[in-house]
Amino acid sequence: MSAAVGAERPQVVSHAQQALSYTVFDCKWVPRSARLLCLGSAARGTGLIQLYELHGARLELLREIEKPKPIKCGTFGATSLQQRYLATGDFDGNLNIWNLEAPEIPVYSVKGHKEIINSIDGVGGLGIGEGAPEIVTGSRDGTVKVWDPRQNDTPVANMEPVQGESKRDCWTVAFGNAYNQEERVVCAGYDNGDIKLFDLKTMSLRWETNIKNGVCSVEFDRKDINMNKLVATSLEGKFHVFDMRTQHPTKGFASVSEKAQKSTIWQVRHLPQNRDIFMTSGGSGSLHLWKYEYPAQRSKKDSEGSEMGVAGSVSLLQNVTLSTQPISSLDWSPDKKGLCVCGAFDQTVRVLIVTKLNKI
Amino acid sequence: MPVWLREHRWRQTLTAVYLSLPLRGARATPANIFCSERYLKVSIPPFLFEAILYAPIDDTNSTAKIGNGNIFFTLYKKEPAMWDSLTLANADKEKLQYLRENAVLKAQEKAKEETEAKKITKQEHKKYALEATMKLEEAERKRIEDLKEKERQKVAKELELWKNQQKDGDKYKSIQKKGELHKEIEPLKERKSEKMSKTRIPNEGTSKTRLKSTKGCHDSGSIFAQSLKEEQLPAPRAAATIKVNFTPRVFPTALRESRVAEEEEWLHKQAEARRIINSDLSELEDLKEEEKNPDWLKDKGNKMFAMGDYLGAVNAYNLAVRLNNKLPLLYLNRAACHLKLRNLHKAIEDSSKALELLTPPVPDNENARVKAHVRRGTAFCQLELYTEGLQDYEAALKIDPRNKNIEKDAEKIRHLIQGTMQSS
Repeated sequence: MSAAVGAERPQVVSHAQQALSYTVFDCKWVPRSARLLCLGSAARGTGLIQLYELHGARLELLREIEKPKPIKCGTFGATSLQQRYLATGDFDGNLNIWNLEAPEIPVYSVKGHKEIINSIDGVGGLGIGEGAPEIVTGSRDGTVKVWDPRQNDTPVANMEPVQGESKRDCWTVAFGNAYNQEERVVCAGYDNGDIKLFDLKTMSLRWETNIKNGVCSVEFDRKDINMNKLVATSLEGKFHVFDMRTQHPTKGFASVSEKAQKSTIWQVRHLPQNRDIFMTSGGSGSLHLWKYEYPAQRSKKDSEGSEMGVAGSVSLLQNVTLSTQPISSLDWSPDKKGLCVCGAFDQTVRVLIVTKLNKI
Repeated sequence: MPVWLREHRWRQTLTAVYLSLPLRGARATPANIFCSERYLKVSIPPFLFEAILYAPIDDTNSTAKIGNGNIFFTLYKKEPAMWDSLTLANADKEKLQYLRENAVLKAQEKAKEETEAKKITKQEHKKYALEATMKLEEAERKRIEDLKEKERQKVAKELELWKNQQKDGDKYKSIQKKGELHKEIEPLKERKSEKMSKTRIPNEGTSKTRLKSTKGCHDSGSIFAQSLKEEQLPAPRAAATIKVNFTPRVFPTALRESRVAEEEEWLHKQAEARRIINSDLSELEDLKEEEKNPDWLKDKGNKMFAMGDYLGAVNAYNLAVRLNNKLPLLYLNRAACHLKLRNLHKAIEDSSKALELLTPPVPDNENARVKAHVRRGTAFCQLELYTEGLQDYEAALKIDPRNKNIEKDAEKIRHLIQGTMQSS
């Protein structure tokens, strides 16, 4: 693992932190602002949404919203920049879209799943990409559903287990390949190590693989381009980077894998301003900053003449341990390069700044 | 008796006495010289020189130079005065003794004091060194902290700057938008009036634009362009389902590489257990609950053996083995039955199986192994395979050398072998 010269390495500087009185499951920056949201579950079994604003080195609580069910995950991905509605998935399987100015009644609500929604992602909003805004949710009941906020009650796509088959928990979902109005792809990771890629244009399974450890988090490096790279993190401290440009008919996508630490890697997030840099957060409370380097040739021909992808290499730029508890959520600010927020199970949310990213 | 050195020469000034002492070939070291305020002694066995000095001297500053076969003393007087002689002339023995002892004591005290002083200075030096290193480390740490602080402050400043930019940017944008809004409303109004004048363009189109424009007027911050774009969004996808197959996994927990081996083993054992229970289920249904317990069956077998019902015992052991074929004692006892029934080959088989199962040869299963060997040996002998039998007996002896019976039997076999060898 090569690293940049000591003084030139990106440093992870802790800028502000806030102790919370509840378990925080997800934290997200509000786009186009210095505000962030913390989503979680209070001790009395209700859900909490807290809105903080970054003032100097402090976080100031602007607003606290309490909901009947604990909230597991949220996204701004499918909303416009003006509305900035938050889509959340809660422990009961409900998908709600909230207007934070008037949060009493959700703008959209559906009981999408029978069990907790583990992961949510949105695409088509925030002025990024093209096509209809859509939200995908993955749940413990083994199904992955895609919703359109304009259509009530039924999902526009439902990836469910075959009748009679025992279900596996879906732990993570991500959108990708949304480079024009028709194309869209959903990637889902399950607890038995399966990663499945669904193509929404053809409504079919495009690719699947098994990485031998439960998949904790998947993310494409960019949602709104022709799919380029996919990072999947798993239990046992491993993550895989798949090169998604070339799909081989039998071997699928080429990948490189790295074992970063002994504990689960809970999240991976790509830097919005540079798609080759990503940060992984671990169960030991540490954050690792990685850079992906492309190989000289991204594809080559195999013995039968079909195109096969070539995976590059990953190098560790920096790592830092912030907490003794797992850092379960991570989000880069789309507006300021290097600003990120992370929430850990020690009931603290931390705002960090990663320096020297321009020099990478 | 020491040899006294008396050929010393001395001269004096007001403040000092210079004494020269030739050593008759003896080698002197500083250890041989003993000096106190009034007493001077040089002792190089067998030579001895001592002098009770006329007046006290300052023994700390006085020096002695050893070289050229003599010692040159420079003694500084405590009181500057001329001495009549080097030594006190009229010194009687007692006084001499007293003085000597005194001198020794004084010297000892001095030595003690010196060591004390040395210790103290050493400690002080150590403390000083420690403090110095601590200071250095502190400085280093501070330096690093400062670097980090600087970095942090720089970054915080940048953040503030960016935030302010954002706010200004937003304000500017909103002002701009308002301007644009007004500008856009004009042409749109014109378009609307145009559309109205033309007949029946899709109602939807007009109603939409009307709705959007009103919304635009109310919402001061909204971008008009956005609302136009909304019209261009594709319709919601046609609902469809994709059926998914999962990689099969028996356990409800998540898959972890490190646990795979354990899980395989567990599954294997479960399969084994199920197989045994399920095999010959039809026959086993007739049996009572306790009769399916291999231990109970073993006890039954033992009782029958004790009573002499060897066939019954064998049956009991057979059933027990079917239920659990990993208990060595079953085979061992069955071997004994077979011996009694003179099924010698079966006896050998069973003893061998028992020995196999008793593989980790630990003190716990010594007894069982001895029995197995003995039984197999007996079977071999009865088949007239005396050498093999002897082997087993010797193995048994190795495990338990104190057993007289085994020894006796082993002897007998040896004789038998020798007998047959001789005769053949």
